Amino acid sequence: MIGNEETHDVERLLPPPIKRIVVDEQLQPTIVQPPVADPVAATGPSAGAVRAGARAHRRGTPGPERMTLDGLSVSYGTKRAVNEVSLPIRQGEVLALIGPSGCGKTTLLRTLNRLTELTPTARREGRILLDGQDVDELEVTALRRRVSMVFQQPNPFPMSIFDNVAYALREQAMKRPGKAAVEPQVIDALRRAGLYDEVKDDLSRPALRLSGGQQQRLCIARALAVRPEVLLMDEPCSALDPRSTAVIEELIQELRSELAIVIVTHNLQQAYRVGDHVAFMYLGDLVEYGRTEQVFAAPRAQRTRDYVGGAFG
Amino acid sequence: MLQRLRKPWPDQRAERTLGALASVVLVLIVLMIVFVASKAMPAFQHNGLSFFGSGGDVDRQIDAMVNTGAKPAPGDYTIGAWPLIYATLLTTALAVVGGLAFALLAAVFIVEFAPPSLRRVVVPVVRLLAAVPSVIYGLIGILVLVPLVNDHLISSGRKQSVQYVISLTGTGLLVAVVILVVMITPIMIAIIVDALYAVPKGWREGALALGVNRWRAMWTVSVRAARPAIIAAVVLACARALGEAIMLSMVSGSKGFAPNPIDGLTFIFEPLRPLAATIVEDADSINAPAMSATVYAFALLLLFSSLVLSLAGFLAKQPMKKYGIRV
Repeated sequence: MIGNEETHDVERLLPPPIKRIVVDEQLQPTIVQPPVADPVAATGPSAGAVRAGARAHRRGTPGPERMTLDGLSVSYGTKRAVNEVSLPIRQGEVLALIGPSGCGKTTLLRTLNRLTELTPTARREGRILLDGQDVDELEVTALRRRVSMVFQQPNPFPMSIFDNVAYALREQAMKRPGKAAVEPQVIDALRRAGLYDEVKDDLSRPALRLSGGQQQRLCIARALAVRPEVLLMDEPCSALDPRSTAVIEELIQELRSELAIVIVTHNLQQAYRVGDHVAFMYLGDLVEYGRTEQVFAAPRAQRTRDYVGGAFG
Repeated sequence: MLQRLRKPWPDQRAERTLGALASVVLVLIVLMIVFVASKAMPAFQHNGLSFFGSGGDVDRQIDAMVNTGAKPAPGDYTIGAWPLIYATLLTTALAVVGGLAFALLAAVFIVEFAPPSLRRVVVPVVRLLAAVPSVIYGLIGILVLVPLVNDHLISSGRKQSVQYVISLTGTGLLVAVVILVVMITPIMIAIIVDALYAVPKGWREGALALGVNRWRAMWTVSVRAARPAIIAAVVLACARALGEAIMLSMVSGSKGFAPNPIDGLTFIFEPLRPLAATIVEDADSINAPAMSATVYAFALLLLFSSLVLSLAGFLAKQPMKKYGIRV
């Protein structure tokens, strides 16, 4: 459990929205409603719930290690984007990658399911283990089914909602299954992504007619449909409004028990809200890795302190 | 006046001027259709629906028309143009189907699988091929392909088996379709390649990130999203194949004969002559009014079919709008 001292320290450092969280003795956070209507907090109960639950889920013991990065380096031509990064990615928790633009966060994330291999100039060194097995030994399609990804821009395919979620299920089957065969899995995935209630009336609706936030949740449902073990999220909220962002953050917290989640974010508050561990990257180096509270409240490295402090500042 | 034009144009004037230019094009098209239709009228009037039928030897009917006087009798217009219409449809359909299959595979290869060095060479070459004048293809066809087919593919036994009906000389359906495919495929490749590049990168990456390989992602996402452009490519290719005259006149055998699929393999060697080629070949004997009306009737058919094509292309794209594919 986190010591009270430390938590209060964090609170003092936090930016205005998070300052509204007051942690009581049992570590049960409650919300102090601000006098001025906040766009996030005012739009709905769930937005508030996200804030309230932001630090409530912390667990004392880390989960089992799912992926391990061991001296991972990635270069584009002669430019080194990621430099000798070693990290554990644990089941049942969220790892937030933070750092300024161009520091290699997204490259690191895309390396985990070998998407960087699509860039001809990209070269990788070091090992990535998934459940102890080197990812290079896996079939790349099998790897990507186990380590799925959600992108910065919501990218539902130009098909119906149903077909979007069923896409990967159908593609991984030897013989294209009919609608009835995949329907339970599609509905389950939509439920887990928290989208089902909003779209259940008409699953044949075009996915691109959904709002941005719904589209992003559809992309999450699409990724969940194949039952991945690790979910990679590349700034999943940067194209969304605060309301949708809150919904997605809430969703991330619900999903964390079933999967290991790695999220890249520019938004330090978001990293604080959803991350169990935070990795701060700068110019390709992993500067600091640790528990969220520790990285935000008592960063070890000067560069982390500057970045976190500057942003809080 | 000139002083006024030299000043920056207000939007209103630009709109009116460009609008006028655009309307000129519309008016021209309408006038052209009306003109051709009025000229073709006698041929349709005297033949009725049998114009589209097959009655007698169409070549002999055309020859007879050339020799009719300035005041043709109703019987002078007699023609059953089916062999020519059939030849047009047959060459176009076969060439477009064959060309489309080839163009799709080639475009997928260029966009997804070709090494960048090869891509840099292939794409400009394809565009160049799309611009080669058709008469050059016709020349190569008649000098290279026709002798090749005549000497090596058609056995003398096959020639003898149909010698009382038609003589097989190498010119015919096979060479016509092969060269048409070579002519129209580069256009389709160029259009489809551009369309595949224009598919949002996120869709492809999204599919790959779900554990679908590049080949399947290409077909299930990129090619699907590029369907409107594929339809546009097919429409353009059809239009080019329909309107191709010189090349087909050179290699089709130029006989008003309808190749019959039940002839088996002989079918592909049988000569034929599409409408456009017929117009080219008969344009010099257009002094006879009966002949003139008939040639105009052929022209009207071609005009009409290109209108139908554009319309069909437009209609085929409509269902795709629903899912947000840019049409």
